[in-house]
Amino acid sequence: MAGFKLSGIAATLCWLAGAVLVGYAFVSGGYLVTVLGFAALYAIFVTGLNFFMGYTGQVSFGQNAFAAIGGYTSAVLTTAFKWPVFAAMPLGIAAAALLALLIGYPTLRLRGHYLAMATLALGMIVQEIAVQWDSVTMGYTGIAAIPPLGAFGWELPHERAQLAALLAALALAVWISSRLKHSRIGHALAAIAGSEDAARALGIDVARYKLIAFVIAAVYAALAGSLFAHTVGFVSPEVFGLHMVVLGFTMLYVGGIGSVYGPLIGALIISLLPETFRSFKDYQDLAYGAALIVILIYAPKGLSSLATLWRARRAAAVKREGA
Amino acid sequence: MSLLQVEAVTRRFGGLSAVDNVSFGIEPGQVSAIIGPNGAGKTTLFNLVSGFLAPDSGRIHFDGSDITARAPHLIAARGIVRTFQLVQLFPDLTAHQNVEAGCHLRGGGGVWAALARTAKARRELDEAAEAARDLLSFVGLDARADVPASALPYGQQRLLEVARALAAAPKLLLLDEPAAGLNAVETEHLAQVIRAIIGRGITVLLIEHDMHFVMKLAAHIVVLDFGRKIAEGTPDQVQNSPAVLEAYLGGVDAGGVEAGGVDAGGVDAGGVDAGGVDANGVAAGSAEPAPEATRA
Amino acid sequence: MPDLTFLLQTLVSGIGTGCIYGLIGIGYCVIYNASGIVNFAQGMFVMLGGMLTHALLTRAGLPLPLAALCAIVLVAFTGVVMERLVVRPLWRRNATMFVMILATLAAQIVIERLTLIVAGDQPKTFPGFSEAAPFKIGGIAISVQLLWIAGVSLALVAGLAQFFARTRTGRAMRACAINREAAALQGIPVARMLGFAFALSAGLGAVAGILITPTQYTAFNVGVPFAISGFIAAIVGGFGSAGGAFAGGIMLGVAQALAIVMFGAGFKNVAALSILLVFLLARPAGLFGKAH
Repeated sequence: MAGFKLSGIAATLCWLAGAVLVGYAFVSGGYLVTVLGFAALYAIFVTGLNFFMGYTGQVSFGQNAFAAIGGYTSAVLTTAFKWPVFAAMPLGIAAAALLALLIGYPTLRLRGHYLAMATLALGMIVQEIAVQWDSVTMGYTGIAAIPPLGAFGWELPHERAQLAALLAALALAVWISSRLKHSRIGHALAAIAGSEDAARALGIDVARYKLIAFVIAAVYAALAGSLFAHTVGFVSPEVFGLHMVVLGFTMLYVGGIGSVYGPLIGALIISLLPETFRSFKDYQDLAYGAALIVILIYAPKGLSSLATLWRARRAAAVKREGA
Repeated sequence: MSLLQVEAVTRRFGGLSAVDNVSFGIEPGQVSAIIGPNGAGKTTLFNLVSGFLAPDSGRIHFDGSDITARAPHLIAARGIVRTFQLVQLFPDLTAHQNVEAGCHLRGGGGVWAALARTAKARRELDEAAEAARDLLSFVGLDARADVPASALPYGQQRLLEVARALAAAPKLLLLDEPAAGLNAVETEHLAQVIRAIIGRGITVLLIEHDMHFVMKLAAHIVVLDFGRKIAEGTPDQVQNSPAVLEAYLGGVDAGGVEAGGVDAGGVDAGGVDAGGVDANGVAAGSAEPAPEATRA
Repeated sequence: MPDLTFLLQTLVSGIGTGCIYGLIGIGYCVIYNASGIVNFAQGMFVMLGGMLTHALLTRAGLPLPLAALCAIVLVAFTGVVMERLVVRPLWRRNATMFVMILATLAAQIVIERLTLIVAGDQPKTFPGFSEAAPFKIGGIAISVQLLWIAGVSLALVAGLAQFFARTRTGRAMRACAINREAAALQGIPVARMLGFAFALSAGLGAVAGILITPTQYTAFNVGVPFAISGFIAAIVGGFGSAGGAFAGGIMLGVAQALAIVMFGAGFKNVAALSILLVFLLARPAGLFGKAH
């Protein structure tokens, strides 16, 4: 995993730009707050995706299933059953983790396109259930008027406080991702990504670690889905469709797959860029899809790898001059 | 008491017996080798011992316990660690990270230890990094620690795989054709490394085509042909076994055969012979000999 | 307990849909055999086949046979374009299977959204190939379109078998399937075979889309469900032979029909996906393939 390391000036600039953007959003409020909130949600989702795909080198096209479970559990429990948010959210996440455990155990034995199709099917099944089980999920209509984040009868007063909560959740998510990447577990996941047979020969319980990564990714997805429900106040099957997965992949590849901060950068760039398309959702997916293809062909390790490539080329040039 | 005891092990693929009723024992503290022509069942035997395949019948005992058909990672935890005929590194990781990842069995922390970064987890990470440095210098790759594995020349990839296997703290190290594709200088270096491994108290069992290499290193040799054991013993005993000469040379004039002349299945084993050393030596280190195309 | 006539009626229509799944499944196998690639955009050919035929019928006013023919050619061409623009650059670079899957899935999304923008989100349909009334066998109505579906599908399966057995190109493609390097050494233009495989596979998808549209409808978003169904058919059939995929498709169609009878129409896809999971987990080599 030649993870992209934010280093030196580039890193400082990135963090500075991010900080300025967030600061400005808190001052100005309004639309930018919504955009950054969206970016934070997706950054959490993509950080989870990165766990399973970047760190572990596995394939899942069904992460939207877990986001849907988190989102719908929150939505149903807080609206129909009047549960408080802080109780509904963990339950949704736990449900997603449990499902990931049950589904993952048999499914993760599959490799390559079998695993890809099985996970794609998982996403479709959950979406299908969201449509069909309309006594609970309200079918295509979706569930509206979901209460915002808050606890003990007290709701976060305005959008800026919501954004602060989202950023805090994101910070925690990224911190965990970083901790686990640089640990014995992270090393085992990197080994599995490199060669499953070699990992096995070195005493790594491949099935177990894949399952751990899958469950962690599901927890991230469910957290993102639940936060989405409470931030936007609305969920529908459409929200957790295949486009969520493709959007997540685009962000992952733009930011750099396998690196801790790649998902952050990717989510931010992609959330800011297509604001011009915001009112045309169809063009948006079109743009994501096309961008993803171009990136896969020309910058397979993410846009950030272009910087690495450029640096390597420059280093080679310097070397030539020196010789 | 043998360290590894293979008892009447058989493995069939379809109607064909890749390994047919093979028994042998491996004594601790020395280099043993399994030789045989291509398709003799050597790698299948490795897969059976390391748990990558389960035998159809027979038992395998290691270090006092039955490991027949155990999962590979459990067998590795017992102390048998293998390398692969086609090098299986973690290509995107650096040499150092490869060996670090190989230290998995030296630690024990789970998710919570990693999150809390307990004193134990920190110490384990430090120890893994330290072990990685030590092992890289042990095989002579300390200068290449930060190079991605995929960018290393082939000979160094082989060495890195050995270093990484040692990171798992094996009692028995299985090397699948470690000298394949190496030039003469690299092969000699590998031989030194293997002797040093024995010096560390680790037993080595290897598969090899390069007869010079085997005869020089191994104290004990098992010869397979068409899945059957046709001979076993010291290098001298094996070289003088009529069955071995028959298998390798198809019964052609056995009188002229000497150690160096026994060449696996007619395959030119990396072009290594005494006369070639000087010529090859010039290119050593920079050359990246490709693995032989003839290997299956 | 539903009555027997209803059950049989459902089974008959299940066989019809199954033929369609089978054709799509064969499309997967054709590309997979030639290249080892699983094209996750297979469903877009089905969608395009129906949508283009509809457009040519209503906007260009072409007669149905001509519209269908033009649509098939156009979709086959789309397949070639996709192979050139998306697949070949990745194939050349030896991209991982995952990257290839992701890229083809992204291509699916792009085409789907383009279709949505151009043609809108309303479902479309067009009349069957013959206007004859359905005839009845013992209370079971069999529509003429169903006969068309079965007839054309069987003809295509037979034709493909002949093609792979008899023609130079067909044999060359089979050689690629067995061993690409060896095929290249024998002077078979492997890259051109890949392009041809995409054209053939896209054409098959288009035929499937055109055949099925009169019995239900087509819309910009039918691609992914058809792609998954076709994939299931290919898996059930062992992911190699055309006949296997076709049989797998019929089995899937029938199973879906039974699920509709027993649980209601909403569970059609859940049933299909469950079959997928069962096969993936219990018998990944398919019904006819050898378990490994």
